[in-house]
Amino acid sequence: MAAATAAGLATNVFPFRDARAAPDPVLEAGPVAHGSLPVPLVLDNGSFQARAGWACPGPDPGPEPRLQFRAVCARGRGGARGGAGPQVGNALGSLEPLRWMLRSPFDRNVPVNLELQELLLDYSFQHLGVSSQVTGEGCVDHPIVLTEAVCTPLYSRQMMSELLFECYGIPKVAYGIDSLFSFYHNNPKNMISSGLIISSGYQCTHILPILEGRLDARNCKRINLGGSQAAGYLQRLLQLKYPGHLAAITLSRMEEILHEHSYIAEDYVEELQKWRCPDYYENNVHKMQLPFSSKLLGSTLTSEEKQERRQQQLRRLQELNARRREEKLQLDQERLDRLLYVQELLEDGQMDQFHKALIELNMDSPEELQSYIQKLSAAVEQAKQKILQAEVSLEVDVVDSKPETPDLEQLEPSLEDVENINDFEPLFSEETPEVEKPVATVQPVFNLAAYHQLFVGTERIRAPEIIFQPSLIGEEQAGIAETLQYILDRYPKDVQELLVQNVLLTGGNMMYPGMKVRIEKELLEMRPFQSSFQVQLAANPVLDAWYGARDWALDHLDNEDVWITRKDYEEKGGGYLREHCASNVYVPIRLPKQASRSAEAQASGKGSGASGGGAGEQA
Amino acid sequence: MDGVSENKMVPSDFSTGPMEKAAKPLPFKDPNFVHSGHGGAVAGKKNRTWKNLKQILASERALPWQLNDPNYFSIDAPPSFKPAKKYSDVSGLLANYTDPQSKLRFSTIEEFSYIRRLPSDVVTGYLALRKATSIVP
Repeated sequence: MAAATAAGLATNVFPFRDARAAPDPVLEAGPVAHGSLPVPLVLDNGSFQARAGWACPGPDPGPEPRLQFRAVCARGRGGARGGAGPQVGNALGSLEPLRWMLRSPFDRNVPVNLELQELLLDYSFQHLGVSSQVTGEGCVDHPIVLTEAVCTPLYSRQMMSELLFECYGIPKVAYGIDSLFSFYHNNPKNMISSGLIISSGYQCTHILPILEGRLDARNCKRINLGGSQAAGYLQRLLQLKYPGHLAAITLSRMEEILHEHSYIAEDYVEELQKWRCPDYYENNVHKMQLPFSSKLLGSTLTSEEKQERRQQQLRRLQELNARRREEKLQLDQERLDRLLYVQELLEDGQMDQFHKALIELNMDSPEELQSYIQKLSAAVEQAKQKILQAEVSLEVDVVDSKPETPDLEQLEPSLEDVENINDFEPLFSEETPEVEKPVATVQPVFNLAAYHQLFVGTERIRAPEIIFQPSLIGEEQAGIAETLQYILDRYPKDVQELLVQNVLLTGGNMMYPGMKVRIEKELLEMRPFQSSFQVQLAANPVLDAWYGARDWALDHLDNEDVWITRKDYEEKGGGYLREHCASNVYVPIRLPKQASRSAEAQASGKGSGASGGGAGEQA
Repeated sequence: MDGVSENKMVPSDFSTGPMEKAAKPLPFKDPNFVHSGHGGAVAGKKNRTWKNLKQILASERALPWQLNDPNYFSIDAPPSFKPAKKYSDVSGLLANYTDPQSKLRFSTIEEFSYIRRLPSDVVTGYLALRKATSIVP
């Protein structure tokens, strides 16, 4: 297909894969899940993908998580069909037809819609084959390791704990940060390590300093840009460049371009200079081939069609005006005749009839009659002339049907005449300037394949660059390099030295080719002369969080201090968190328990009073 | 924690005789569960929306935090101190010039002629991409 273009050399033409997700099978839990101790379930709850699986003990560390699906759900198409409830993740197949109906429990990287979260959890448990073995009571018997956002709002953790403990009846849960689990996985287990994690996900990018194995939460920073903003930026860039292909430039295809055809430039300005050169452009532009659509061909002609239609409308209006003019002319003519007749009466000397006629006409004196006659005859003359003119230009119109600019110049004088008579004036004055413009931009379609190609040139480096330069999309926040410097400056020099020796890059948005080299270059620029640093990309930036969580769960199964049990939840409230090497920092502020709706207003009033008194004073 | 009738999820869980295809009770959950956070507003049955992140953060700010406590909004990266580089809206190259009529940035003469021939919706699209749309008309 690509080789058959008329342009000869067809380098760098890539088709879109437009992959559809296969629906997940409902797996059997298998012997893995039923050990002597309940086996923990590990869920990496991400805003892009949710990954779920068992943390199986034993010599074999185990394969990938059994379930990986997009964290979205949508009702089936065609309204709420009876029976088929909302579909989740991979059961949706291709996301594009449902793009406007997709709902996600996440708002940025925090789960806020717990109903949808419940759906995702249902889906995970169902497909992992979780069943309650103990009693008839519906509950999940396994401890759960769940990821949460960095410094997640207490309200969100409370809602999540409530969902887990009260809906699913989980015995104990541990919350952790995905980047820290990834750090745990990528570092040797025995050492208490310090380092700096740069983790870039779908919705935001975090820079987390780790000191002595614990997150230094006061000095973390979050940039609210990630893969989804890059995809949105790329989509709008291409849609503005190719307005004819608006519908074909979908977010899924943008994600495909980002995953496969984009890279991070080591030096952005220098790379742009390279792209200026036409040879470099030719060699490196990626032409994405869109599937052929005959509808698109039709749309190039519509601008001409639109002009045709406008011409027709103009002609119709002119004919209408001409007819009206003629009718008026006739009426005026008749009136003029009558007045002339009356005048003749005067001249003939038939005074009585004359006076009678005058009264009929509602006039007082022969002078008035005279002046009226004069005015009317002048008007009739004018109208006759205008009709003649309009007829002439109409004839010219009919002969010359193509929308060319010389035609418009002839239309202009006739349009001015029309203005006096009718109320189509605003329509006319707005139409003439517009008709001239689109003619210049309509290009003839020679190469059909090339017409359906999107040329992705500098966009390959522009879209991923937003995390380094948020000003590209108008964000005021600082990029990764500046934020890194800001964080390092908050520490004394020896600690800085310690931190940069162990920089870990993790998260799906870090997988662009050239990312590691770029971060090394940025560090080189900001560190003192001849100081050393070490940057490491996670072994599997996407799945390392899940692997780390699984390793952590296996290592800490018997350690009771790190799990939040049901008893803890009931005593200390939903916002309670037990800290461990991969968790957030717990701030002991008691949230008012969200009671049932009617009592909620009262409870929150009382609760905030109590917590305000109990948890310290406000500054 | 009752109110079975008010929870939208419940009817599909609780088997009420005739089994629909999607209405099988899921064995691992409590069928009587109602989200208490559902409807974070005062109004009873009517307002069933979840709070979005902005509202959650607004109510979190009101909690008694100490000065150094890390929380979701204190972690936001600071605004940039360095002046932003200007790139062409059309091609992404370094832009030295700005079109006074449409305020788009460009780097070469060909880009300028391209910009001058753009329809106005594309022009506003490029400006909106940079968040450079002016409020004052």
